Amino acid sequence: MAAAMTTTTPDLELLSITKQFDTFTAVDSINLKVGRGEFVAIMGPSGCGKTTLLRILAGLETASSGQLYIRGKDVSDVPVNQRSTRLVWQNYALFPHLDVAGNIAFGLTLKPHDKAVVAGKVKAMAELVGLSDLMGRKISQLSGGQKQRVALARALVTEPEILLLDEPLSALDAHLRIRMQGELRRIQQQLGMAFIYVTHNQVEAFSMADRVVVMNKGRIEQIDAPEEMYARPKTEFVARFVGTNNLFAGRIQEVGQGHVIVHCAHGQLVVSTDDPPPIGASVFVVVQADKLTPAPTGVAGENRLDATLRGREYAGSHNIYLLDLVDGTEVKMTVPQVLPVEINQSATAWFSPANASLIRGAA
Amino acid sequence: MTAISKANPWIFLGRLWLGIAYAFMFLPLVVLVLFSFQKNRFPGFPLQGFTLQWYDKLFSDGTLLNALGNTMIVSPAAATIATVIAFFAAYAFNRFAFRGKTVFLALVTLPILIPPLILGVGFLGLLARIHLSGTLFAVFLTHVVLITAPALAIIQLRLAQMPASLEEAAWDLGATEWQAVTKVVLPFALPGIFGAWLLAFTFSFDEFIIAWFVSGFQPTLPVAIYSVLVAAIDPSLNAIGTIVFGISCLVLIGLELVLLPLLVGRSKNQS
Amino acid sequence: MTTVETVTPTSAAKRMKTPNDSPLKIWFLAPLAIWLTVLFLLPLIFLLWIGFWRVENFQTIPDFSLGNYAEIFSSFFSKSRYGLALIQSLWVAITTAFFATILSYMVALSIAFAVPARWQRLALLFAIAPFWSSYVLRLYSWQTILSRNGVINSVLKQFGLSDYRIDVIYTQIATRIGLIHYLAPILIVILYVSILAIDKVLIEAARELGCTRWQAFTRVILPLSRFGLMTAASFAVIVSLGDALSGNLLGGGAGTSILGKLPTYASMIMSDYSSSTNLPRTSALATILIVVMVLALAAGFVAADRARRRTS
Repeated sequence: MAAAMTTTTPDLELLSITKQFDTFTAVDSINLKVGRGEFVAIMGPSGCGKTTLLRILAGLETASSGQLYIRGKDVSDVPVNQRSTRLVWQNYALFPHLDVAGNIAFGLTLKPHDKAVVAGKVKAMAELVGLSDLMGRKISQLSGGQKQRVALARALVTEPEILLLDEPLSALDAHLRIRMQGELRRIQQQLGMAFIYVTHNQVEAFSMADRVVVMNKGRIEQIDAPEEMYARPKTEFVARFVGTNNLFAGRIQEVGQGHVIVHCAHGQLVVSTDDPPPIGASVFVVVQADKLTPAPTGVAGENRLDATLRGREYAGSHNIYLLDLVDGTEVKMTVPQVLPVEINQSATAWFSPANASLIRGAA
Repeated sequence: MTAISKANPWIFLGRLWLGIAYAFMFLPLVVLVLFSFQKNRFPGFPLQGFTLQWYDKLFSDGTLLNALGNTMIVSPAAATIATVIAFFAAYAFNRFAFRGKTVFLALVTLPILIPPLILGVGFLGLLARIHLSGTLFAVFLTHVVLITAPALAIIQLRLAQMPASLEEAAWDLGATEWQAVTKVVLPFALPGIFGAWLLAFTFSFDEFIIAWFVSGFQPTLPVAIYSVLVAAIDPSLNAIGTIVFGISCLVLIGLELVLLPLLVGRSKNQS
Repeated sequence: MTTVETVTPTSAAKRMKTPNDSPLKIWFLAPLAIWLTVLFLLPLIFLLWIGFWRVENFQTIPDFSLGNYAEIFSSFFSKSRYGLALIQSLWVAITTAFFATILSYMVALSIAFAVPARWQRLALLFAIAPFWSSYVLRLYSWQTILSRNGVINSVLKQFGLSDYRIDVIYTQIATRIGLIHYLAPILIVILYVSILAIDKVLIEAARELGCTRWQAFTRVILPLSRFGLMTAASFAVIVSLGDALSGNLLGGGAGTSILGKLPTYASMIMSDYSSSTNLPRTSALATILIVVMVLALAAGFVAADRARRRTS
């Protein structure tokens, strides 16, 4: 993706976009480049500013400061109805007085137009999203998934340069959501169009996007490909928000060859690293829950965590164990087998130094 | 409410009271219609037999019919203008935040709170000054003021049900603001607009005192009826009353279909 | 990366920057604002002003004289008896509002609790249907019903009950009947909507806790509908104070009440104008009514506000 960005102008470029509501900063100096035909998911808890950011891209809100380029053109001052972006709403926002065909054709009929051309485009788009049999239906007669397709078709038929999606699948049931994820990805790749996809759902973001943006309190915490983000969260927030990670706060006590020793409240942890922080630096040791296993019996080696079992959650293919360390730190461990330990008995967990990573903590 | 057992005496009392109330409410209407078809000079019993003579008299005399004609010019016109003004204002109130909004809204409702008697005197004072009093046009102008507030309230009720994203979607697809209003907001508000028109029409149709002050020699129907009434009892009034009641029934049917679902909010086919 | 502090506005961007920022805000509110100013505020101000004009040789002459008010108040309780009419008006309006509100509340309660849910809309529609027929015609009809040889008395006579004939026409009782008939549909809607707003769970909870139906009413429903009752009653007072029709047609202009044979104030304004066409004096009389209404409204508002604070 990096190569694509340098050779052509990016589809979208944000330069320190900020949105201020009275005293509240909803979006705080966001910088972002979206390459040609890239699928970017913006993820974060509710109130993190992701929807406001999307509305700024659509032109429904004006940024307090910063600049916005679409394919190299400054559109910061272009009003919503003249932007080459289209938004797909969470509640679909379909026009209840029009039928399916009327909704899809809406954007094409606003300027002087050739009816035959419009009809042709509408028909082709209906085929692409699988609505051909429903063209005469009223909106109130459609299921959630069908409404979603109409909303998508209505936006795509106007041939936008960028499609913006605001939690488009959140109103659908789980089964339908997974199917629509696949379809969205297929349509996006078929059209080669940049998609900016806002969601609070990790699974959606990670399974569809080329890159994921995690936002918190109006700022971008991390931008990375899904695998990278999952494997190497860069901030405490991302580490807690993405996946099921265990975080141990501590300080670098010793820097060794390819590893460091971190002093934590409950003891020492050894972590492999090529880029060791200086001694005394405050860090978090991050270990994914499925990288923890019960410690091999009798071994009093490194990275052994002595704990008390507090709870077990059975999740079909695996079990999630909730452990409390001596200092009260909560630890989650995911293992396939059932452990021969009762609640409130002592248990152990262990991880390999290679399976842990470090993030800088607060100073 | 449905959980209340059948042995509940209150239900019986409630229904009994409803029966009495309905009898009270409909008694004048029944009497009006009944005696429009009876020979009795003074409505009362015993009935003296079926006749259409009062309708005959009504149509040959023409005074009341003329007045009905006047009203049927003024009221639809006033209702239409009031509804148009109300729609634009309701749209603005619904969409925009601005300073003085509550004051403005309070000002709009004031014409219904101030007794029409007082407004009538005020209108007369002003209109006489600019030589407009005594015309149907004067009635039209003043009625618009009076009926805009209820029309506005009804349309606002409807627009409040419209998700903001609907209009945003229209803009996003390239619509100008005016296109969004005509192609999306207007169709959505249509039931509310229809209900507002009916309500405005009814208020104007029935308005007496302002029209009495300003209509002069072109009386509206209520004013004409009043002047017949203070002179003597005339069963032609029963005839015109029955005709008016027929018009009201049409309005009522429209109302049941549109206005009540908005007020009580139990319609199945809401957005 | 460069940070640009403020985006310089270009001419194209003046259209709509945010949904709240649009020329439509002014264009769409202007018709209403203009109409209200020219045809509502202006007449109202004119009304207040004209009260200070005087009449010479049947011509109104702009002036600032207190003559009209002096004339009105000099004979306030004597010859022309404006003051007595005002008291009559208040008495009729308050008693009418009292009965209209209670009777309408009983209807609203009956619809809400004694009618199956799916029939309630229809029941409400029937209750408000008479509102859509002409008020003057309904008063005319009441006149034929209540008059000495009218419908009711002729029916009584048919059954040989002439001893029980009613004699209410041209009294303020008849005025009240006309007003209640006019007010009831509106009050029923106000009260029904306020009863609908009561959380049914509260009523069920009260019943669960062992309240009888009567206790559930007095301790839950009645306190929670107090705001609706206040609103309805103030509305009824205002309408009754301003209405001249019922007083003229059923009350016979100067109908009898326990205060005596006096017209209502609204009737008096109407007859005063039609007999003298003295607009300045009529305006002064109307101004006095405005003052009384504002006081009544303020009292109603305070009462309603107190009721709301007690319930919430």
